[in-house]
Amino acid sequence: MAEFNTSIKNQGAVSIINLKGYLDAHTAPILENNFVDLIEKSCYQIVVDFKDLAYISSAGLGVFMAYIEKIRDSKGDIKLSGMSDKVYNIFDLLGFPLLYEIFKSEDEAVKKFTEIK
Amino acid sequence: MQDNDNLKAKRNLTALVEFSRVINSSLDLNFILNNVLLTCLGKFLATRGIIALNINGKLQIKSYKGISEDKILLFPDIDANEDCTENDDFTKFFTENNLLASEKISSSNECVGIVCLGEKLNKQDYLKDDLDFLKTILNIAASAIQNSLIVEELKLVNRELDSRIQRLSSLFELSKEFGLFSESTKVTRLLIFALIGQFLVQKYALFRFEGNDIEVIEPKLPVEELLKNLRKIDYHRIDTSLNKEQVALLFPSLYGMGIEVIVPMQIQGKTKGLIILGRRINNFDYTDADIEFIFSVGSLAIISMENRRLFREALEKQKMEEELDLAREIQRNLLPQKIPVYKNFDIAAVNVSSKQVGGDYYDIIELDKDDCVVAIADVSGKGVPASLLMANMQAFLQVICRQNVPLDEATGLINDLISKNTADGKFITFFWGILNNIDMTFEYVNAGHNPPLLIRDGKIIKLEIGGMILGVMKTILPYRSEKIQLMKDDVLVMFTDGISEAMNKKSEEFSDEALEKLSLRNGRRFSRNYFKGNTK
Repeated sequence: MAEFNTSIKNQGAVSIINLKGYLDAHTAPILENNFVDLIEKSCYQIVVDFKDLAYISSAGLGVFMAYIEKIRDSKGDIKLSGMSDKVYNIFDLLGFPLLYEIFKSEDEAVKKFTEIK
Repeated sequence: MQDNDNLKAKRNLTALVEFSRVINSSLDLNFILNNVLLTCLGKFLATRGIIALNINGKLQIKSYKGISEDKILLFPDIDANEDCTENDDFTKFFTENNLLASEKISSSNECVGIVCLGEKLNKQDYLKDDLDFLKTILNIAASAIQNSLIVEELKLVNRELDSRIQRLSSLFELSKEFGLFSESTKVTRLLIFALIGQFLVQKYALFRFEGNDIEVIEPKLPVEELLKNLRKIDYHRIDTSLNKEQVALLFPSLYGMGIEVIVPMQIQGKTKGLIILGRRINNFDYTDADIEFIFSVGSLAIISMENRRLFREALEKQKMEEELDLAREIQRNLLPQKIPVYKNFDIAAVNVSSKQVGGDYYDIIELDKDDCVVAIADVSGKGVPASLLMANMQAFLQVICRQNVPLDEATGLINDLISKNTADGKFITFFWGILNNIDMTFEYVNAGHNPPLLIRDGKIIKLEIGGMILGVMKTILPYRSEKIQLMKDDVLVMFTDGISEAMNKKSEEFSDEALEKLSLRNGRRFSRNYFKGNTK
């Protein structure tokens, strides 16, 4: 079974989730739990970094859809960063760039949150 | 004058070469069109211009300058290959926007598009020279435009292809995952994730039909309202996928809730559930291919859930059969393992149980060296409850035989015990008696059992004396017993209705009469070896 894990760090008020490995139907619940935890702790400014992500399936993408409404309703956002071309291509094919801000690097995404302040 | 003309021609030529170099250096359609239009405007000092291209046989404005957008929207519907100057709509658009010159962009075999230019800033007319030059520019531009159009189309085709590959791999992955998950909640969760990720949906609901029940899974729509609206329609009958137009037309109340797609989840053409999706948040419509994908994923999911259910059922059935085997084994062990041998009697017995666990039972209990109890019983019903009651019966019988109570009284006691221990109308037909090896008597009580046959001199005597069946109510009327003096060559046949009601291959009952006939004919041969070959 494909390996997947996440790690979370905080930079100011922004929480950064680092994804590593294969995000598919099987591993999607791990990321789901991360979102649930953050929402519980009222952390609504979230950057998801894809730098170390090798693959994402549509079930993996579904996780982003499942929580974005709640997060945006709470004046937060999920911003995405560091995608490889292969991963970006999937996001692009499904029309995500219209709905999510996607940045080259984690720093740019974090900066975007602080700029708004 | 000559020099001047030469200089002009040379300048034009240089401009053309430069133009050609620039527009052929790019495959970006907008860049090329922008360049062509700017070059024309610059060359002729025109303040306005449009380029319309032949897109699937129709002219479509792709670049414009100096004309406001709302005017551009009024561009008429024109076939690319017709002569525009003869089209009234076109002429109207042409004059309304102060356009003066137009020239087709042609490749070797077809019309690529058209360029229209407005009046010159110096108010001069377009001369033949100007139009010739325009033609030259457009001839150079034609191939660049065509190439970039092809590239654009290729890009589209490529993207379409990527999309399909993505969907296929999605389907492939899901089918794999659906097979792995053990709970249907996980399957539905996965299904939802896949769908909302694929189509960017936030309003959705899954329904699963279980007989007449409808199970709502993970709704992100007001459930009460949804169910109310669904019940108004015959949702079981939805057997094809419905797109936005169809939902709006057939189920306006659902459409009013923002539902755009209803897709059945089917197994072998039978609808077992529904996938209901709202608007995509990027405002795209669901295409036929999208709906086809949803249908495929939905069917995969429902089949996986259904398989799991069937598998569980099969497991339970298997477990139950194992239990039944065990019950049969216990029951077999309740029957006497050894039949006592007496000088004056030859006793033989056999029990052939049908597929199920039955309630047939016989026993042979030695009281002392000269007295022996033979008993036969049939517990109503089949299966585990019947075999449990039979086990009870056997225990009572074993105990009561040691109490030295007269047969008729003992029967009453057994009845009291059984009545106390049975519920819901279960009963036992029972026959028992004591054989005495010394004075050759047989004393019996028949509690509602098929009368055993005593065969003597080719005649049948039915042993019917006794009382009512066991277990219906407490003993009020005492049982009666009868003592018979047995004679040489008497044969006593005891049986349960398992014999007389057995069916042969033609589904004919064996019947009491047939049994009696057989007993008369073969009575003498009912001995311990007889049954060996005749149990079927």
